[in-house]
Amino acid sequence: MSSNELPLEGIRVVDLAQVFAGPACTRILADLGADVIRFESPNRLDVTRSLIITENDGLDHYYHRASYFVVRNTGKREIVVDLAKEEGREITRKLIATADVVVESFTPRVMAAFGLDYARLKQIKPDIIMCSLSGYGQDGPMRDYAGYGMGLEPASGISSITGYEGGPPMRSGLSFTDPYSGFIGAGAILTALYHRRRTGNGQYIDLSEQEAAIPIMAAAVLDQQMNGRLMPRTGDRSTYAAPQGCYGCAGDDRWAVISCEDDAEFERLARATGHPEWARDARFATVLARHEHHDELDALITVWTSQRDHYDVMHTLQAAGVKAAAVLDGKEVLFDPQFKARGHFDIVDQPLLGKRPVQRHMAAKFTRFEAKTRRPAPLLGQHNEEVLKELGYTDAEIVAFAEAAVIADKPNLPVPPQIVAMALKLPYDRYIEHRILLAIEPDYRQQLGIAD
Amino acid sequence: MSDRALTDVRVVDISQGIAGPYATKLLADAGAAVIKVEPPAGDYTRRLGPFPGDVPDPERSGLYLHLNTSKRSITLDVSVPSGQVVLKKLLARADVFVTGEKASTLAAWGLGYADLKAQFPELVVAQVSPFGATGPYADYDGNSLTAMAMSTIMYNTGEPDREPLATGGEPGAYIAGVQLWIGILAALENRAARGGGDHVDVSMAEAVAAADEYNAAMYGFQGAIRRRYYSRHIFGYPNDIMECMDGHVVVIPGAGGFPSPLVGDSVSPMALLFENPDLDQTVFFKQMGERMINWREFEALIHPFLSMHSAMEIVMTAQALRLPFAFVPNAADLLSDEHLAERGFFVRQQHPVAGAVTLPGAPFRMSETPLTMSPAPERGSANADVLVGELGYEQGDLTILSDQGVI
Repeated sequence: MSSNELPLEGIRVVDLAQVFAGPACTRILADLGADVIRFESPNRLDVTRSLIITENDGLDHYYHRASYFVVRNTGKREIVVDLAKEEGREITRKLIATADVVVESFTPRVMAAFGLDYARLKQIKPDIIMCSLSGYGQDGPMRDYAGYGMGLEPASGISSITGYEGGPPMRSGLSFTDPYSGFIGAGAILTALYHRRRTGNGQYIDLSEQEAAIPIMAAAVLDQQMNGRLMPRTGDRSTYAAPQGCYGCAGDDRWAVISCEDDAEFERLARATGHPEWARDARFATVLARHEHHDELDALITVWTSQRDHYDVMHTLQAAGVKAAAVLDGKEVLFDPQFKARGHFDIVDQPLLGKRPVQRHMAAKFTRFEAKTRRPAPLLGQHNEEVLKELGYTDAEIVAFAEAAVIADKPNLPVPPQIVAMALKLPYDRYIEHRILLAIEPDYRQQLGIAD
Repeated sequence: MSDRALTDVRVVDISQGIAGPYATKLLADAGAAVIKVEPPAGDYTRRLGPFPGDVPDPERSGLYLHLNTSKRSITLDVSVPSGQVVLKKLLARADVFVTGEKASTLAAWGLGYADLKAQFPELVVAQVSPFGATGPYADYDGNSLTAMAMSTIMYNTGEPDREPLATGGEPGAYIAGVQLWIGILAALENRAARGGGDHVDVSMAEAVAAADEYNAAMYGFQGAIRRRYYSRHIFGYPNDIMECMDGHVVVIPGAGGFPSPLVGDSVSPMALLFENPDLDQTVFFKQMGERMINWREFEALIHPFLSMHSAMEIVMTAQALRLPFAFVPNAADLLSDEHLAERGFFVRQQHPVAGAVTLPGAPFRMSETPLTMSPAPERGSANADVLVGELGYEQGDLTILSDQGVI
C-alpha cells in the first residue's frame, strides 16, 4: 500500500469507557484512524490498570505497567480529569464540542449525574453520536445492575449450552462477550457515522452486552420455541458434525480439534489416519451411526492422535481435506506461522516496558490501509497538557487545574503503593504447582525476539 | 417510517452458514439492500435446523430464519460459468460483495480479488474464511470450533484434568461475522472519503484471537502460560458459576467485594451478602491467591448460604450491595425474562411458510435509525424480481437457466 490513510482520519472520539468492552470498541476506532481521547478519574483508576502487571511485579508505577490495560488501549491519548469537579466537567464539555463520537460504559445513572447524558451532549454538539455500552441496557428493571464480563456471558444464556455432557453450565475461560460487545459497538458507531455522512444527523446507541450476545444463542432459542426443548450441553460435540471433538495429542496438555461434517469428510479422516476400514464399518458409515457410536469412534481417533504432536494432527488432516486445528495456548499463538504471516500481533514499544506483542482488535485485513496499532498505550494522564492546549487553555490555566487536582498524572491512593503492589502480585509459584499455569519462561523476551 | 442508516448500500452475498450471513443480516436490518445468492439447493443452514417437530424443511430452519432477516433470495450456481456471468451483472450494480469461500476457490471461479478489482474498482469485496486469504493455512478448512481452538480461548475453558471445552452456540462464527461487518463498514467509510473499493479479508481464527482477554499478554508481558482452571479468571476465584438452591448464579466479587487495603475497616460487601462479618477475618476473604488455590475450602464457607437461597434472592441482594453477580438463564428463561420483555428485545414475526417465530432482536439500539427485521426469504423467491426486473433477462432466459440447474 502506498500510504496508510485511514478511514476514520479526522474523527474524534471522547472515550469515557473503562475496563474491557468499551476500550475494545474504541481500540478498533483508533486503529481505523480516529483520534481517541480516553478519560480516567484520579480517584478511581480504570481497574485494568491493576491487572496482569508486567513481570508480575507492581512496585514501580504499577498503573503504567498493567498488560491488561496496554493491550486494549494502544493508539489512544488520555487525560485524567476529575468529573466530580465543575471545572473537570467544563473541560469535558469543551472537548465534546470538538468531538464526533462519545463512548461510555457506566451504569445508566452515572452520565446523567455528571450532566453528560445524550440530551445534554446534543446541546453541546448537535450531530454527536453517543454510544452507551452497559451490562443490561439503559432501561428495564435490571438497568442499574452492575455488569462484569464474567457474568454477562452466562446472563446471555450461552453458559447454559456450554459444558461437558451431563455436567453443570460453564463459562468460557475468559470474558469473550466483553470484546464481542465492544466489536458490536464499533460496528454500530460506523453504521451511525455512515448515516451522519448522508444526513448530517447524529444519534444515540444503547448497547446492552447481554442482548448483544443473545443472537449467538439463536439456535437454542428457536429449538425451545419450536420443540419445547432445552439444548443440552454436549462438550465439544455438535449436532452439525460427527465425529467432532477435542482429542489428546502427544506432549503435556496438548490437544487438537477435529470436525467431520459429512460422510465424505469422514472417509478422508479414515484414510488419513490409516484406517480406511472405519468408513465401511456399520457403526460409523452414516452421520447418524457416528453420533450413536461417538464414544467408540473417539477412542479409536485418540489412539491415532495421542502418538502425534497437535500440529502434526492438524497439518496431516488438513492436507487430507479434514477440518482440524491445534488447540493453542497463549505462547503458541504468538509463534504460530499463520498468525505471524498475517501480522496479527503488532510489536509496540511501550514506555517503561519496552517492546511487547499486542494483538490486533480489528481482525480484517485491507489492501488500502492497515488497521494496526499506531502508538503505545497512554501513561496515566500523559496527554493532559497536549489536549488542554488544543482546547485553547493557557499554561497558567493548566497549572492551576493541576494544583486544584482537576487534572492529574498520578492516582489518589489511600494506601502506600507498596501495599497495592503486594496485593497485585499473583502467587505464580503456587499456580504452577496447582497447574493453573503450565509454565513460566524467564527467557520469553529472547524467544519472542523482543529483548532489549 | 423512520430513516434507515444504510439505505443506499447494495450488497450481493454468496456466503453460507453463520459468519457471512450474520454480517449481511446486520447490514440488511440497518437498511442495506442485500441480495442473498444461494446455491440451487439452498444455503446449508436450511438443512441444519432446528426445525419444528424435528421435521427437516428448508423453509423452516430456525438458524436460517434468524440469520437471513431483511434479505431477498435468489438461487444461482456461482461455481459454473453461466452462473458467474449472472453474478457479475449483479456485482456491476453492487457496493459490497460478500463471500465465505477460500481464496483458491474464488480464483478458480474467476472471482479472485485481482479480477474483481479490475472489473469493479469501486466494489468492496468482503471475504471471511477459516484462516484468512493469505498465509500458509490459507487453503485449510475450518469452522467455529477450529477458530476457537486457534484463538487460545478454548485452551483456557473447562476443567483442568479434562479436555479443553468449546463455548456453546458457535461463537467463533459469530465473532468472525461481526469482524467482517466492521470491516465492510470501514471500507465503505474509506470509499466515501477517498473513492475506490477494497478487499476485506477476515480470518475466523484471527477474529476470535482478537477477543483474547490476556492469554497472549500473559506470555508477552510475563512469560507465563495459562492453563484452564474451571473456566476461572487468573485474577482469582470465584468469578465463576456456582450452584444455589434452585439453579446457578455467577459469584463475582468485583473490584470492591472482598476486604481490600483500598477500602479500610468496614465489613466487606461479600461478608454482608453471606450474613457473616467474621468471614472477613479468614485467609480466603483476605487473599485472592488462597481463594484460587484452596477454592474447595472457600466454597465450603459460602455453600451453606448459597444452598439455602434462590438465584433471585442471591443476585438481587448482591446487586443491592453493588456486587456484579449474575443469573445463568437458559433459552426458556430468556424468552420469559421480564427485563428483556420490558426492553422489547425479542422480535415476534410471521413468516409466510414457517409461521410465527420469535427471533433474537438487534444487538444494539439506534435512536434515529432503529434496526428492523423483515422475515427471511424463501429460497429463490426474488429470482424473477432480480433477474428479470433488475438485470433485464427475459422470462424465457429464467426457464433455460432453471433447466440447466443454474438457478
